[in-house]
Amino acid sequence: MSVSPIARQIASPQAIPIRKVLVTDASELPNYYSQTPGGTLYSTTPGGTKIVYERNFLLNLRNSPISNTPPRCEIPEVLQRGAGSPPKKVHNNQLPKRNKIPPRSRNDSYNSRNNTEDEQFQIDL
Amino acid sequence: MSTNSLDIESDKNDYKDDNENISMDYSIKHPLQNCWTLWYYENDRNQSWEKNQREIASFETIEDFWSLYNHIKPASDLKQGTDYSLFKKGIRPMWEDDANKRGGRWLISLEKKQRNNDLDRYWLDIILCLIGEAFDNSEDICGAVVNIRYKGDKIGVWTADATKGAAVMEIGKKLKDRLHIPPRVTIGYEIHKDTMDKTGSSSRYSYNV
Repeated sequence: MSVSPIARQIASPQAIPIRKVLVTDASELPNYYSQTPGGTLYSTTPGGTKIVYERNFLLNLRNSPISNTPPRCEIPEVLQRGAGSPPKKVHNNQLPKRNKIPPRSRNDSYNSRNNTEDEQFQIDL
Repeated sequence: MSTNSLDIESDKNDYKDDNENISMDYSIKHPLQNCWTLWYYENDRNQSWEKNQREIASFETIEDFWSLYNHIKPASDLKQGTDYSLFKKGIRPMWEDDANKRGGRWLISLEKKQRNNDLDRYWLDIILCLIGEAFDNSEDICGAVVNIRYKGDKIGVWTADATKGAAVMEIGKKLKDRLHIPPRVTIGYEIHKDTMDKTGSSSRYSYNV
């Protein structure tokens, strides 16, 4: 049982933050059984809970099929990608193509906005 | 040749190793900490400045962000004199808003030639910092604005309280780092109130990194 000095250095001990919540009335109890008074216990990190995403993680999700569906709201024509041409109805995989972008190879992992039929079947289900 | 795709290519190489380790779950939408609203400004003299700010869309998942981003023009394709703004929902992209009036902005002034080289990369990386809550003091972030201008484009990252020096500096340092702005280039922080009072002499920055 020994921890390397480097590991010990990195993982310097820190006290687990404790918060005491005094409940005086039943109305102060949370509505869900999975919650504890004063916030959900296991999801609370020091300094408060925050949903943080790394840059790469965000970029990788650009490939997601959901990310390539047209947005729910109406995009003004001046802002539509590849505008200049009249507004198009977008069907299936026919996303508006940007001007002058060379065809992308299938290995182009995170910018394959114009999915081909083939790519759709690469997803493991 | 679109510079956008070039930049993305080179970025990809930088981060290749990391990418291989991430297995993505495409079946769900990933919630963001905040709901964000995209605004578009276009100068129409027949209308007030405020009316020229158009709310385009709001999103609160990563996938909804991309579905918007993938279908709108990159900043470099916008007309001169227009802006994109991305703010936390409920904050209007103007100094007068309660959330902004005590704040200021980190200002990145681009040279003309940078519209083709850096503008889209900077803007996307800033958006990813915002929605991914990259800053330790991300609760101090209000939003960001990109101004497309003939004399040189600008990008500002708006924070809520100019007196919180440590938070402002943390945001500025991380911004410079994440955008790979070389050390010899200094970016400055302007307090909105100063900018409003003194139009013209905009050389005074309250903070620099």
